[in-house]
Amino acid sequence: MNLNIFIQHFINALSLGSLYGLVAVGYTMVYGILRLINFAHGDIFMLGAYFVYFATIVYKLPWAVGVIIAIILTTICGLLVDRIAYKPLREAPRISALISAIGVSFFIENFAVVVFTGMPRPVVQPKILMEPIIINGDIRLIPLGILVPVVAFILVAGLLWLLYCTKPGLAMRAISFDIETTRMMGVSVNKIIALAFGLGSALAAVAGIMWALRYPRVEPFMGMTPGIKAFIAAVFGGIGSVPGAMIGGLILGFVEIMSVAFFPTLSGYKDAFAFMLLIMILLFKPTGLLGERLEDKI
Amino acid sequence: MRRARNLLLTIISAALFALFLDKAPELLNGYWQRILNLIAINAILALSLNLIYGMTGMFSLGHAGFMAIGAYVSALLILTPAQKNAMWILEDIYPWLLHVNTPFIISIIIAGLVAAFFGWLIALPVLRLGGDYLGIATLGFAEIIRILITNTPRLTNGSLGLKGIPAHTTLFMSWGCLAIVLLCMVCMLQSNFGGVMKAVRDDEVATKMMGINTFRVKVLAFTLGCFGGGLGGALMGNLITTIDPRMFMITQTYNILMIIVVGGLGSVTGSLIGSVLVTTMLEWLRFVENPITIGSINIPGIPGMRMVIFSLLLIVVIIFRREGIMGMREFSWDIFFPKRKAKPKESDSYSGPVLEVKNLCLKFGGLTAIEDLSFNINHGQIIGLIGPNGAGKTSAFNVISGFYKPTSGEIKFMGHQIGGLRPDQVCRAGIARTFQNIRLFGNESVIRNVMVGARIRQKYSWWMTLLPFIFTDVIREDSTVRARALEFLSQLGLEDVAHEKASSLPYGAQRRLEIARALATSPKFLLLDEPAAGMNPQESEELMKFIRRLRDEFDLTILLIEHDMKVVMNVCDYIQVLDQGVHIAQGTPEEIKANPRVVEAYLGKGAA
Repeated sequence: MNLNIFIQHFINALSLGSLYGLVAVGYTMVYGILRLINFAHGDIFMLGAYFVYFATIVYKLPWAVGVIIAIILTTICGLLVDRIAYKPLREAPRISALISAIGVSFFIENFAVVVFTGMPRPVVQPKILMEPIIINGDIRLIPLGILVPVVAFILVAGLLWLLYCTKPGLAMRAISFDIETTRMMGVSVNKIIALAFGLGSALAAVAGIMWALRYPRVEPFMGMTPGIKAFIAAVFGGIGSVPGAMIGGLILGFVEIMSVAFFPTLSGYKDAFAFMLLIMILLFKPTGLLGERLEDKI
Repeated sequence: MRRARNLLLTIISAALFALFLDKAPELLNGYWQRILNLIAINAILALSLNLIYGMTGMFSLGHAGFMAIGAYVSALLILTPAQKNAMWILEDIYPWLLHVNTPFIISIIIAGLVAAFFGWLIALPVLRLGGDYLGIATLGFAEIIRILITNTPRLTNGSLGLKGIPAHTTLFMSWGCLAIVLLCMVCMLQSNFGGVMKAVRDDEVATKMMGINTFRVKVLAFTLGCFGGGLGGALMGNLITTIDPRMFMITQTYNILMIIVVGGLGSVTGSLIGSVLVTTMLEWLRFVENPITIGSINIPGIPGMRMVIFSLLLIVVIIFRREGIMGMREFSWDIFFPKRKAKPKESDSYSGPVLEVKNLCLKFGGLTAIEDLSFNINHGQIIGLIGPNGAGKTSAFNVISGFYKPTSGEIKFMGHQIGGLRPDQVCRAGIARTFQNIRLFGNESVIRNVMVGARIRQKYSWWMTLLPFIFTDVIREDSTVRARALEFLSQLGLEDVAHEKASSLPYGAQRRLEIARALATSPKFLLLDEPAAGMNPQESEELMKFIRRLRDEFDLTILLIEHDMKVVMNVCDYIQVLDQGVHIAQGTPEEIKANPRVVEAYLGKGAA
């Protein structure tokens, strides 16, 4: 493997990993607060990609405008999911909310089949993002590959600022620590939970849009596998921790790309790596890389 | 009498149903026969997932994977060498596999066993995880199994799948398998071992304290459930006659999950009703995807609509009726008959202190919960452990009962070292406890709660419960345990509510039930964590009498934590006082009352 190919793999892994990371952040925020695996998160990601498709190809809007509209619509969808399917179950056993989440995920996927049809659709790729830049004469870089991690890191940095330097962020961290006490401190818990869902969905929308650009197409089940993998990344990084989710996503991206790059015969097993990582981390460090221990009081 | 009547009714209805199945090929067309078959197969799958999830409380999303294993194993065993040669076109089949050929019945049993083996293999690492992680990990395993099947063409013919599997799954075959699975499962659940599984679901910590190695119970339930998954998959393959990896996606698991959620998690009857409803509905809903012509109007079919309606129903059920149709209740012939009522002792030679605690320390990181605690308890004493909040009393209990490992120091029980043993081992040694925050198996009846406590003193093994009519030990031992449980309950004044749900009891009764359950483990030493909490003066008066009676009748030694000073001063022979993890005083109630350090710990400096 020469340097050129290695750099391409590296960039590829970095951008795949940061996409996993962006989706994982949404999982980790919701899980940190509600101890709920939001199974529908991967499908929210899919919706983001579809909204851009409709805005740009069907309604012929400029790409940038389409992206903004898509992010807004996806965020609304995320909020609706919380309001309709999870909020009535806040006091119910956690497993009920989990089944509801499975139902929602299933619903969004099949609703997408009904409305968008099961056929994969092409995506507009803005030229400026796809025109290769040539460095040193033989290293070719696609701007998209660089843009993806840059955008992801900026967004996550922004989220960290929000979590650690603002009042709503403080409230969100407090809720994940103890929801009842936070409520008694006069925090409107449901609003903060909605904020977490909204932020997570917006990030998932961005990830979905960039994902669709990478593979240039959208289809109703595109969120399923990346969604589960991103959740695994969140667990790997330590569920509840935003930097952990990003690190978990990057590690997963690198494992997937590099193992296939170095051992091409493994390509058929690519989707199994994430689950292997999950089993390993849960066996050796069940709290994930940056997670905190949750214990049952006796 | 009642049992005989119910058994007779069950046999009669089973016979009637068998007669119906016998006539079914003439009465029903192929479409309805297929639905009947699917109902039976789905019921087997639902029962097995319910065993894992509803009964034992493990959230598993891996059933599709075990179905895939079952379907493939059975198909590979049934297909003839000629068929195999014709089907493997991309790569050659392994020569050893080519000539393997078994009858159908053997193939489905092996299918179940192989699935169970994989289940067991997976259970060992994965069941150490709790709750949602388990769900994701099992989902992952199902996905890995699918990926493996796709990527091992020499074994499984890869993504091309297998075709031409003989349609061996007849109505008698599918319903016969269901009948056997159902019989074994009902027998198992009715035995006390079944009660133990549900106890793990309701409160794993308390089950450990009943001397049960809960990890083993979980692995077992999971493995048995996987057997059912493999069996169901094999029957499914032999019904549809073609299988490929795409058939066993997560959607399969969701379908089964839907069945048990609709029917009621933890209810066998519910799984059966759920299978009938969901299977019929899924088939019936196919019409929305097919074009319909009414007169001259054409309504085009809507692809995907079936699953949209299906998932909406799942959400609606879970939001508005999350206990499903049956909740955790079961069908019983008794509902057709008016109610009636049912009707229903033991000592060691060791002298020396029952419990010796020496230089015990417990630290969590930098925090010291207990520092250098030493005391002895002699046989037949009632000892009070008191101290202000955060003094380390419950931590001391948790160390003695095995939930925490001591950082240093030793604990000897009847002369044997018990520090660092697991809770279930401590319980087996003869120490029982109650919990400050009551930990009953809330969904189970009062008597079942007590019976779980007696499980460790029973000799029969889990597999005997599958066939209790052959291994009559199960029935005999369970009835002895039941009688003893009733005895405990009547001593605690709970015999009238023996068949109520434990969580429906008032608070005081729940506390007494915890004591009855602890007594059922036949302890020599009893730890009571705030037994008088929440009781009114009259109740605590009765409790004091009861604690003394317990010691005399059951020949017990008792250590109790209590904040109610009246109870402590009246009932205890001797008192140990802790403050912020430090042992500050010990003595008779009179000495303690006069001890300035104790008064200071409770009321602050200067109060003395």
